[in-house]
Amino acid sequence: MTGRIRWAGAKRLGDLVGTAALAVALVVTGVGCGTSAGPGASAPSTSAVSPPGQEQPAGLVVDITIADGTAAPTNAELQGRVGEPITLRVSSDATDELHVHAIPERTFTVEPRAGQSFQFSVEVPGRVEVELHDLRRTVVTIQVQP
Amino acid sequence: MTAQPPAVVLAHGLGGSADLPIPFTYALIGAAWALTFTFAVVAFAWRTPRFDPSNPGRPMPQWLARAIDVRVTRWAVAAVALLFAVWVALAALFGPQSGENALPGVFYVLLWVGLVAASLLFGPVWRAISPMRSVYRLISRTLPRLGGLRYPQRWGYYPAALGLFAFVWLELASPDPGSLTAIKGWLLGYVAVLLVGAVLCGDRWFARADPFEVYSVVVSRLSPWRRNPETGSIVVGNPFDNLPSLPVRPGTLAVLAVLLGSTAFDSFSARPQWRGFVDGLAVPAPLVRTAGLLIFIAVVAVTFWLAARPTGGVDSQQRRALPGLMAHSLIPIVVGYVFAHYLSYLIEQGQQTVIRLADPLGRGWNLLGLGEADVNYVLSLHPSVLATIKVGCVVAGHIAGVVAAHDRALRLLPPGHQLTGQLAMMLTMVGYTFTGLYLLFGG
Repeated sequence: MTGRIRWAGAKRLGDLVGTAALAVALVVTGVGCGTSAGPGASAPSTSAVSPPGQEQPAGLVVDITIADGTAAPTNAELQGRVGEPITLRVSSDATDELHVHAIPERTFTVEPRAGQSFQFSVEVPGRVEVELHDLRRTVVTIQVQP
Repeated sequence: MTAQPPAVVLAHGLGGSADLPIPFTYALIGAAWALTFTFAVVAFAWRTPRFDPSNPGRPMPQWLARAIDVRVTRWAVAAVALLFAVWVALAALFGPQSGENALPGVFYVLLWVGLVAASLLFGPVWRAISPMRSVYRLISRTLPRLGGLRYPQRWGYYPAALGLFAFVWLELASPDPGSLTAIKGWLLGYVAVLLVGAVLCGDRWFARADPFEVYSVVVSRLSPWRRNPETGSIVVGNPFDNLPSLPVRPGTLAVLAVLLGSTAFDSFSARPQWRGFVDGLAVPAPLVRTAGLLIFIAVVAVTFWLAARPTGGVDSQQRRALPGLMAHSLIPIVVGYVFAHYLSYLIEQGQQTVIRLADPLGRGWNLLGLGEADVNYVLSLHPSVLATIKVGCVVAGHIAGVVAAHDRALRLLPPGHQLTGQLAMMLTMVGYTFTGLYLLFGG
């Protein structure tokens, strides 16, 4: 069984493969430059989780419910913008702490009652995690775009 | 209300926000470049091997080479590093026992990522600055060597691989990576293992079992500085000539698999689908994360091992040696991915850590005027620049890895199989890079 590759044939095949790959790359680059080259499109910055009919503060609003040792929502993803006010509205049946992993870190103490509201804004773009300390759950991750 | 200060659960062991995912078009363009270059290298690149660690390189000026190698310099550098370690220890033990302590930043940023940057720029620096080596040198003058054991050769780099795994486990899978107690415990274990081993086996133990020393040696293969193997003098040369000088011992591939797999798992574990999955299981989260980390490391090790072997024309003994002999081509991929993932941590959290170290005990000190400085978030404030750098690092690492693998294959593979024998390795590297870009994009 001949396992030998004849260099002439390999070179022609290699040329073909290389040219095809180059063409693919050029096409993809062209497509990429044609579409927006900025940061990924951000969703409209309205709340994704608030019930209708309530008075909406400006900016992003997240409604958090803590009941029976669980929290809702968990591991949600939202989009925000730098400088936009972000409001966390919490109804809870236990004490806890909300940690906002942004620059700088923020901590809000949650009491066992309904209707609490915490507001902050983020100045440095990044993925901001909001998590509950005692329940050890990430409530929401907000992608703060510039 | 609790009376004690809150122990902040820090994601990733550090506070602050994480990097934004790279935009989809960036990932796509990066992937296209990686693929194109891979094909180009295989199809058009040179047919005779050209990288060799015994290439002479360009010698440094005499005065500089002498200054670096003379004992005074070595002692001075080691002493400064030891003093810095003591400073950090004081900050850890007597500083604010909260998220404001400098220890997590020193441990996860200055040490873990800074070591990579320093080794790339200056060579295997940990050998010169390791506080444990300095401590051992001091005590071995006063105490005789207790054991006379020789380090077992077949252990190779496996102890260091275990040490690296212990580090990434603490960072990525432990219940509370930012906990000062956890980090202090880890460091205590590290000191104990190194001291006991060194007392038993001599200072070869550091070269094989110190995770940071092996990490530094591995990354420094990509540095332009190396020692001429005949004269022992420091020369500047092509980093590709330096890469094949990675010592091939048992455990070399394990070390690289831990480094690459853990960085990939780091990206992966930030995804909300994974977190939701972990939360939904009845098994405790640290166990699931440990399993995930092990799976990522195992996948890297197994895929590389399988990709290095399939070639015709070699006997079974040569085939067994192939993965170890090809392992150095993973180094640029590891380094590229480490920078892509951690560069903003190094530059921004690094500044934050240095500022905290200027006031280690939280008493309002202001050493060197740094205690009141502000962190410059130059990378986070320009996400598109950061995204370009990330993609650039991954693609550059991939291209360098492909080039190194190609050159080595020309040396190892018999003449008729030099093209086909490389195919599996090239495809696997393309797979690593595509996965890396996909994880940076966040899916």
